[in-house]
Parts: sequence; structure tokens; C-alpha cells
Amino acid sequence: MNIAPPIHFLHWRSRIYGILGLFILLIVVALLAVAVGSVNIPFSTTSSILICKLPLVKMTPTWTSALETIILEIRLPRVIMAGLVGAALATAGATYQGLFRNPLADPYLIGVAQGAALGAVIGFLLPSSWHSVGFGIIPLLAFCGALASTAIVYSLARVGKTLPVTILILAGVALGALLGSIVSYLIISSGERIHSIMFWLMGSFSLSQWSEVTVILPYMFLGMFIILLYARPLNLMQLDEEQAQQLGINVERLKLVLLSAATLITAAAVSFVGIIGFVGIIIPHAVRLIWGADHRFLLPLSILTGAVFLILADLIARTALAPTEIPVGVITALCGAPFFLYLLRRKRKVIF
Amino acid sequence: MKRKRYKLGISYLASVILMSLLGACTPTPAEEPALPVESATFPIETTDQADRVVRVEKMPEKIISLAPSNTEILYALGLEDRLVGVTEYCNYPEAAKEKPQIGGFSTVDIEKVVEIEPDLILATNIHKDEIVPQLERLGLTVLTIDPKTVDEVLEAINLIGQFTGKAEEASQLTAEMEKQIKAVTDKTAALTEAQKPRVFYILWHDPLMTVGSETRIHELIEKAGGINIAQGLPDEYPRISLEAVIMANPQVIIAGSGHGTGQDAPFHFALTEPRLAEVEARQNGLIYEIDSDLTSRPGLRIVDGLEKLAEFIHPELFKESQ
Repeated sequence: MNIAPPIHFLHWRSRIYGILGLFILLIVVALLAVAVGSVNIPFSTTSSILICKLPLVKMTPTWTSALETIILEIRLPRVIMAGLVGAALATAGATYQGLFRNPLADPYLIGVAQGAALGAVIGFLLPSSWHSVGFGIIPLLAFCGALASTAIVYSLARVGKTLPVTILILAGVALGALLGSIVSYLIISSGERIHSIMFWLMGSFSLSQWSEVTVILPYMFLGMFIILLYARPLNLMQLDEEQAQQLGINVERLKLVLLSAATLITAAAVSFVGIIGFVGIIIPHAVRLIWGADHRFLLPLSILTGAVFLILADLIARTALAPTEIPVGVITALCGAPFFLYLLRRKRKVIF
Repeated sequence: MKRKRYKLGISYLASVILMSLLGACTPTPAEEPALPVESATFPIETTDQADRVVRVEKMPEKIISLAPSNTEILYALGLEDRLVGVTEYCNYPEAAKEKPQIGGFSTVDIEKVVEIEPDLILATNIHKDEIVPQLERLGLTVLTIDPKTVDEVLEAINLIGQFTGKAEEASQLTAEMEKQIKAVTDKTAALTEAQKPRVFYILWHDPLMTVGSETRIHELIEKAGGINIAQGLPDEYPRISLEAVIMANPQVIIAGSGHGTGQDAPFHFALTEPRLAEVEARQNGLIYEIDSDLTSRPGLRIVDGLEKLAEFIHPELFKESQ
């Protein structure tokens, strides 16, 4: 892998502005996404409902409780969920790409998606009495499946005390194919459940609720926090594993920590909303094309861009054909791919 | 009566328009079965519900059903001795489970079918594009049953009757069904729009799916004197957002149950989803569960489905009759 170390001497200022601008954009987009939906609610009502919930604000409601339910219990948790998942997938993608020094790496490269899919499909096929366990058996099994498949790939790829990246990727692809074929078989034999399963596999936020947000939030924060801490070592990893080692980085430990953290947030993300493609691979690239490859900025910028992107994608998914909904994965691919190609054409330089 | 003729006229007109759109040059389909039942003589040649001309030379002795609804109709016509193959979903009547199975619903085991050498195969719309042509290439006779409306369900029963030498039994059954349907619609026809509650029918909860205007279930809801909150949605079985449901504020929620392993999951959802707590149906406890085999299968039990729905939607009119 002879990818040149990325040294884009961009002004720090443009990146700081980028972070600030994206932060403001995130808030604007989130507000927009809460305000718009299949039911028409005036923006003034939406903002009043939201402001009313702020501490120290006293207001007499002039709206019906149905509107309040729609804004606070349906759209708000959904928007937050989309933001969190977008941030997680983009961060995980940036981490995998940096760690493997491979532009094709995405959060699903080493079997997370197929593991989660297998877990979820098994959940769908279990008798209904199983389905009333806590948050439901499907997220739980998807989460376990994602973690288990990554653990298997990791242990398969280990050579002594080292973890050669190429073997890791190959093991991931192979196990992914194996699990994928089992999933395909189960889908074919799933009978009437097939619709729900296909729908889950394409990803959706349609039933996101606060309880789900609170469950995944700790994993998200923990994982992203750890990854952000390792931004500088990730930069050094771009040189070469040996050089990084010589510069005093415990490369193997770095791999283990970052793989675990990235897998954790990806697993948490997919377990509730299904497998949403394109975010994890495209957002880090887009950020890199615009602001350069310094992980100290790439990671936080990816978090923000991923959140903005997925909130927007979900907004389109639920409003384009309202009141019916399109699977969000369709939108991410449909909007993400052309935008990415445009960026690629515009800046035909070395990305990595 | 006047109403009925008007309806028939519409469906006739629609089928004529459809035919001309498709550029088909076959003669007008004899969808309205020739009522003199003596026509149960063979050979018989008629257009089926997929607009294909089907010809049967002699009374079929071996019949295969590719759908649970077809199986139910065959049993109702007293043809169980000649029924030699069913799907693994054919669960009604109970005895149907004992019949040799020739595959799933959309996954038909063609080899098994050929091995049985049936004289007549009863398919449905989901087999129209791939399975039916394949079976015909193999020299088998296939009758496609694809009723879009309740009236067409009755037609389907008559059609199956004609092709199996049971035309008389079929027309007796459908006459009885018509009477039962009329008993419901006579009561609901007098209702004003304001007296008709808004009904939300949950087909499945994850993703949340309901029934659009083009479905028989929608028609059943209307016949039962309700207003389907999803009428006007584009698809047959559209997804609907939770917020659209909350805004529509349904007065009655009916959850179909019995789909696969989910069983009563949609009903459970309707009862417990916290964000539906404010809708009128939940406030008044008007949430019901219906065996989706009754509402979704185009067979004889669709009348039972209609009566159940009517009871749920207008207990004041129908409760005592049960």
C-alpha cells in the first residue's frame, strides 16, 4: 500500500470555520427536519413546542396534544437518532479508512453488517413470544451478531501478536460472504416475514423513539470519544506501520482499541435502524476532499457531516412520497453517490 | 338493486377500458359468469381473471391449489377428494394441512407439480408472471384467480365451480354470500358520513403498513360502514407514518393478526405504542384484532371478515346479531 502521506497544508482557520459552520448547519438542519413531515405543522407552532420544553420557559400551550406528540415523541427522537447514526457511521468509516490506509474501507468491511443482519434475521424468525423482551429481541441479536462477527474476524486474522491489515480485510470479506449467504437463505425461507426483513436490511428510522436513543447514546459517546482521543496516532499510522512503531506508537494496541471502538458504534447504530449504506464510506472521503486528511479535523468534521447528511437523507425519505416512506438507505445511495462522484471529478487529486 | 347494477356497469366499463388499453383482441371476457348453471358441461373454455383463455376438455380429476384461498374454495365446493396438492400455507379447513404440499406460496415446486400430473391448477396473481407461463409450457392447464374486489371474489368462486363441474354448488354458495353481504351493507348504507368512524387498519407494524383504496380490505371497511384513514394513498399496501396516523386520529383501530411468526404483534403494537396513546381509538379502547386470513384471503370467509369488521366498527348495529 503505497499511499502517499496526506499533507494538505490547509489553513487551520478553514477547518475551524468548517467545524463551526457545520455545527450551525447541523442545528438548522435538525430544526428543519423536526419542522417538516408528512403532517403540515406551522413552523411557529413547532418552535413554540420546542421552546416550551426548554428549562425556565413558561408558556400556555395553544396547540393540540397530537401536535406535541408528533414533534416531541416522533420527529425529535427520530432526528436525533438519524444524527447519531450518521455521526457514528461516518466516524467509524473514517477510522477504518485511516487504520487500514484503504480508501475502500467502510464500517461494514469486516463483517459488522452481515453479523448484524444475521442476528436481526434470526430475531425476525423467532416465535412471537420472544419479541417482547425489553427493547425487542431484534436490536439485541443484531448488536450481538455484529460484535461476534467482528470478534471472529479479528481472531481469525491474528498472526501471533500482530494483526496484518490485509488478512483482517480478507477474513472480513470471507466471513461477510459466508454470513451473507446464510442471511440470503434465511430470507428466502422466511415466508411472510420477508417484507419486514428486507425493510430492516435497507435501514429505517420510522419507529425510532426516545428509549432507543437513550440506549445507544452511551455507546456512541464512548466510542466516538475514544476515537477522537486517537486522532494523532491515526495521523502517524498514515505513514507506515513500521515508522509509526518507531515513532513510539503501540500499533497493535492502537488497532485493537480503534477497531473495538469503531465496531462498537457501528454495531450500536445498525442494531436499531438496520443497515444504512454509503454514509460510512462517502462522508469521510467528502470531508477529506474538502478539508484534508488530518485526523484531528477529519474525525470531528466527519461526525458533524455524517449527522447532517443522514438527517437530511431521512428527511427526504419521509417527505418525498409522504405519507408513505422510502427506506433511508435508498436515499443515502441515491444522493450520496452522485455527490461523491461530483467531488471526485472536481478535485481529481490524490485523496489519500 | 339499482346500486348493484350501477356497480356492475362500472366494473364492466373498467374491464373494457383495461382491455382496450392492453390492446388485447380477445373477445370481451365472460367475467360475469353465465348464470344458467347447466353450463357445467365439458369441454369448457372461458377467460380467467388474468384475462387468459383457459380450456378444459373434461372434468378435472386431479386439482392442485397454489393458494390458501383457492384451497378454501375447493373445500367449500366439496372437492376435497379431487384436491391432490396444496401449499404449505393452506391451513383452512384443518384437513387441508394433511394434503400433499407442493411448496410455498410464491415458491412452487414445479417438479412435484409435474409429477402429480394435475388436470387443473388454480393459481393466483402472484404466479401470473413466472409460474403460470412455466406450468403452461409444461403442458399443464392453469386457471388464474385474481379477484380485485369482493364482487370478483364471488366471480372467482363461480369460475372455479364452472371449471370443476360444480357450477351449481358455486352459485348457491355465492348467492348465500351475497345475502350475508347485503345484510351488512343494508344497515351501513343508511349511515351518514358523520356516523362513519375513521378506521385505521394495521396490516403490519414494523414497518407500519396499512391498506390503500385499491384493496379488498379497504372495500370491506367501507362496506362495514367505516372510513379508511389511508384512502387515497397510492399503493395497495402503503407504508404510513406514525404522525399521519396521529393526525388522522382514528376512532377505531383494527390490527390484522396471524401473519407468520409475528402473530399478534400488530395488535400488541396498537395497544401499547405510547405515541398512539392520545388517538380516539386508544382513549375509548376501540382496538380490535382480526384474523387476517378472514380479511385478506379472497375466499368464502371474506364474508365472516366483513361481519367481524362491521361488528367492530358499528357495534350498535351488529353486536346483537352475533
